[in-house]
Amino acid sequence: MKSKSRYIGLALFLLIGLLPFGLALVYALLYSFGIVGIANDGFTTKFWQQVLVEDTFVQSMLYSIVISILSVVFSVGIAMLIAIKYVSKLEKPFMSFVSYLPLCMPGIVVAFFLIQILSEAGWISRLAYSIGLIDQLQSFPSLVNDSLAIGIIVAFVSVVMPFFLLLFISVYRQERLDELAHVASSLGASPLQIAIKIKIPILLHRTRMIIILYFIFLLGAYEIPLILGQESPQMISVMVVRELNQYDLTKISEGYVVAVMYTILISLLTLVVFSYHRSKTVSHA
Amino acid sequence: MRRSSNSIVMIAYAIWVLFPFLYLLVLSLSADWRFPSILPNYIGLKNWAAVLGGETGLVKSFFLSLFISLLVALSSTLCGFLLSRIVNYNKKKNLWTIISYFPYVLAPVVFGACLSYYFLRLGILGTTFGVILAQFFIAFPYAMIFFSPFWTEKTKDYENLVATLRGSLVQKFTKVLFPLSKNLILICFFQTFLISWFEFGLSSIIGVGKVQTLTIQVFLFIKESNFYYGAMSCCLLMLPPVIFIYVNKRYVFNKIL
Repeated sequence: MKSKSRYIGLALFLLIGLLPFGLALVYALLYSFGIVGIANDGFTTKFWQQVLVEDTFVQSMLYSIVISILSVVFSVGIAMLIAIKYVSKLEKPFMSFVSYLPLCMPGIVVAFFLIQILSEAGWISRLAYSIGLIDQLQSFPSLVNDSLAIGIIVAFVSVVMPFFLLLFISVYRQERLDELAHVASSLGASPLQIAIKIKIPILLHRTRMIIILYFIFLLGAYEIPLILGQESPQMISVMVVRELNQYDLTKISEGYVVAVMYTILISLLTLVVFSYHRSKTVSHA
Repeated sequence: MRRSSNSIVMIAYAIWVLFPFLYLLVLSLSADWRFPSILPNYIGLKNWAAVLGGETGLVKSFFLSLFISLLVALSSTLCGFLLSRIVNYNKKKNLWTIISYFPYVLAPVVFGACLSYYFLRLGILGTTFGVILAQFFIAFPYAMIFFSPFWTEKTKDYENLVATLRGSLVQKFTKVLFPLSKNLILICFFQTFLISWFEFGLSSIIGVGKVQTLTIQVFLFIKESNFYYGAMSCCLLMLPPVIFIYVNKRYVFNKIL
């Protein structure tokens, strides 16, 4: 009886947790090979060839990877600097509440706010105009929908950095880094040595899985690049949705090719990361 | 000297965090605020009065989003708690855990785009139920992962103890497991609520413009360049999370730590 209920539970888990994922992947796969779809008439690899020849996927993927890496590096760097230097100040009641507040801002609000602040007619541009730094609206550099993706990176950092700050503060306390620093200091280590050789390695080691997970999340981010990005190149999620919403029905299959490639890539990355983590955990045990 | 520089940094950080909230609030209260004015020419309740009068549909969107998020949070927390117990006590726990990560790490919008065909066939594309179901599919894996660390050998020992004392399954849950995990359940509920509350891409794909949640309203206002109403929807979007964080910090986190 007990084992029967366990089997039912597992079946339920697979039904809710895995089946939708599997069904979505199968449909995208069938569409990408022309097996299903209104404009398709049987198995073909031409959509895959088309996508691989066009290079749009590779370009979009590389663009997404670079933006995600830069955003994670900036977020982790800034958060770590603040956490190491100001941990005790951030634990005071008011600052503690303030540190949590950025978590209330979803990506779409951050994107909306940055348009208000960083665009050519935005608040910073108005400040620059009022103090005479620019003489007309067009003189202000475009910081949203720009070719260097500055707007996207600023938005990602604004969303992710506060989370890492809270995470690092929590790990800082759990690992008793202040006590370790005290021991190192009494052995003659300088504050810089303590930061570089003790605090940063421990914080990075403890949080490496979450850092990688955030990189994967940013890779698939949608609303921020949709609002703050440019027409081309686009980040991968924006590109997939654009391809799937095209009026040209023959292009939809190419959209599914990109969706399949992205799904496989992310699944493999997740698998590798978790297998590596597990093997490390087992070997440490 | 060092002490005052530290305080300056903290003040700067507080301003950096609080400025967006203040700016969006002022923007929602203003009208005709254009380049090159640094401050708005008008500040008043005109926009908010229009919202409360039901002109913009924002109030409807607010309650619709609230309804969707509460249902998603409730269902995913409950299912996540119960099913993570079964998965974590299973011999193939590692395999199931990795599997539960797949829908979680995949971009929801891509997931939704590939899933929309089945929703269309089931007749739930463009319906509130469809959006709830789609959001549940991404909130549930989060809840599964969230509860994993709770199911330790120690928890199993408690369960065995209840069984030894001839306690029933219901007693096991109501007298031991729920009281032990009530703070975790509360945090998971908040988190899954926020996953749903902040969700945009998946809702836009599955809702196909018919289910207008608050995030979709923000996007529509951005497209229309109606920044005052956009700012109002942003304020409404941030209100429940601010309340949650206040409640969480005051009543939940402090009890855990």
